[in-house]
Amino acid sequence: MTTNKETILETSGLTKKLGGKPVVKDVNLRIGRGDIYGFLGPNGAGKTTTIRMLLGLAKPTRGSIRIFGKDISKDRLAILRSVGSLVEYPSYYGHLNAIENLEAVRRLLTVPKNRIDEVLSVVRLTKDAKRPVKGYSLGMKQRLGIATALLGNPELLVLDEPTNGLDPAGILEIRELIKSLPKSHGVTILISSHLLSEIEQMATRVGIIAKGSLIYEDRIEKLRERSQGHIHLGVSEPEEAWKLLSASGVKASLVEGKLTVAEKNNAAIAAIVARLVGERHQVYRVEEEKVSLESIFLDMTGVEGSL
Amino acid sequence: MMLRIMSVEFLKLRRKLVWLLVLLGPLGVVALQAVNFGLRYDYLTKQYADDLWGGLIDNVSMLMLPTLFIGLTILASMTAGIDHQMNTWKQTLALPVNRASIFAGKFAVTAILLLCSSTLLVPFTLLLGFLLDFGFEELPLADLAMTVYYPFLAIMPFIALQVWLSVAMHNQALPLTVGIIGMIAGMFASQFPDWMPWKWPSLINDRDMPLYSVGAGLTLGLIVMLLGMCQFVRKDVR
Ligand SMILES: Nc1ncnc2c1ncn2[C@@H]1O[C@H](COP(=O)(O)OP(=O)(O)OP(=O)(O)O)[C@@H](O)[C@H]1O
Ligand SMILES: [Mg+2]
Repeated sequence: MTTNKETILETSGLTKKLGGKPVVKDVNLRIGRGDIYGFLGPNGAGKTTTIRMLLGLAKPTRGSIRIFGKDISKDRLAILRSVGSLVEYPSYYGHLNAIENLEAVRRLLTVPKNRIDEVLSVVRLTKDAKRPVKGYSLGMKQRLGIATALLGNPELLVLDEPTNGLDPAGILEIRELIKSLPKSHGVTILISSHLLSEIEQMATRVGIIAKGSLIYEDRIEKLRERSQGHIHLGVSEPEEAWKLLSASGVKASLVEGKLTVAEKNNAAIAAIVARLVGERHQVYRVEEEKVSLESIFLDMTGVEGSL
Repeated sequence: MMLRIMSVEFLKLRRKLVWLLVLLGPLGVVALQAVNFGLRYDYLTKQYADDLWGGLIDNVSMLMLPTLFIGLTILASMTAGIDHQMNTWKQTLALPVNRASIFAGKFAVTAILLLCSSTLLVPFTLLLGFLLDFGFEELPLADLAMTVYYPFLAIMPFIALQVWLSVAMHNQALPLTVGIIGMIAGMFASQFPDWMPWKWPSLINDRDMPLYSVGAGLTLGLIVMLLGMCQFVRKDVR
């Protein structure tokens, strides 16, 4: 389904060297219209560097970026007109209030004044809009950053770790907000994070970057399938049981006396158990072992413990 | 586009002390001259007896030059600092605006603020002249305007340089140091050869043509501004 969607953003061979060493290597991203693309990677993987290039803030050392079918190195301004962004931590003028902050951006976007009230109500900052932003909590600043990104009615929203430093309630709130956008406004979203758990509940597609290379890109369901567990069978004679099952065409493995079958659906498991019992094996346990998405992610990125 | 960028720049200066600074510069210059003339009224009025206004304007101009140098340094640092503080560069430059215009905007704002400051010197000096009882008959308006606006134009290379440095560097220590060195150099400028830009704001040159200094200042100012702009357009934003 995703493959025949219109491509909104595409990079090919995107590479950036900083201080002589490549921090983004040969990255090929593809984001379709209406996707919520989770851009994942541990600290220092190159997410922010990639996003800076996507926004024209930094020039790629090599490779190209096409957004809405246009090349960023040629049509930067035309592209940026339809892109809203929040990079790393929110930028704001602390001595100005939320309305003035948004006005400073609005004048450069030339959107109607009432957009300010609209985006303020989307992020629920209307009540605090007249206070200087330096007195805001981190969550409020982050919400103001999202409001700023939404101001120009963007077709593509680029959010770099928008939940950074927020408490669980704040994370939930931003997640709900982000999930609602593609439905209500037809926006495509690129959202980066170093926590899979934060993204998996909203992303439709994920790209995983580690040490500058994109090592995985697919629908979130594909990643979920990997996390489906295995069924362990605790039996009296594992060796015998394994031979029996293998002989009757069941994919089973025996590692250190632990019998595992690849089958997952209920009927198949029931048949296997019946078979074993029928051959007088004693079945002590039927257990499912789930692999968490997080540990798959850690496996892939080869990082011990994400921060 | 430029107008919109300028309006945003002035919006960002709200509730900053920039305007107070713009007022304080010329006020300080005239206040010091008020003290000078107040304390030495008889001596100075005798010395400048045939041109009282001319004497006052010369004295004002003498203090004005170092004030211009330090004023433009601080103004450039403040207008750039607004965007350094919370790194709002990345937000602004990810908007559909030309980078060159953003740089030109910073330059224009700094120049306009300095121009306001210079302009204020005119009424302040006139007021001091009235208080010193120098008479209303021959108001030296042309003379005063030249004293105020020619150096402002001749000092353009330094406005451009300070805007460039202040915009390029997050830490303002170096730009401020360069500005202060410029101010000190400016105080000894009358002994410099004519080609030294520090001398131009004093309007002194061998040909005795103030407009030469103004022309040189405008030309080099434009060049430095364009160089800064080129660098700003190319550099990666953090
Ligand atoms: N100016 C620079 N010079 C040299 N190396 C740099 C520079 N800026 C960033 N890097 C390196 O580039 C790598 C990628 O940094 P980047 O900020 O893109 O990571 P990230 O994925 O956004 O990480 P995080 O989750 O911590 O935000 C890091 O290893 C960093 O040390
Ligand atoms: Mg980052």
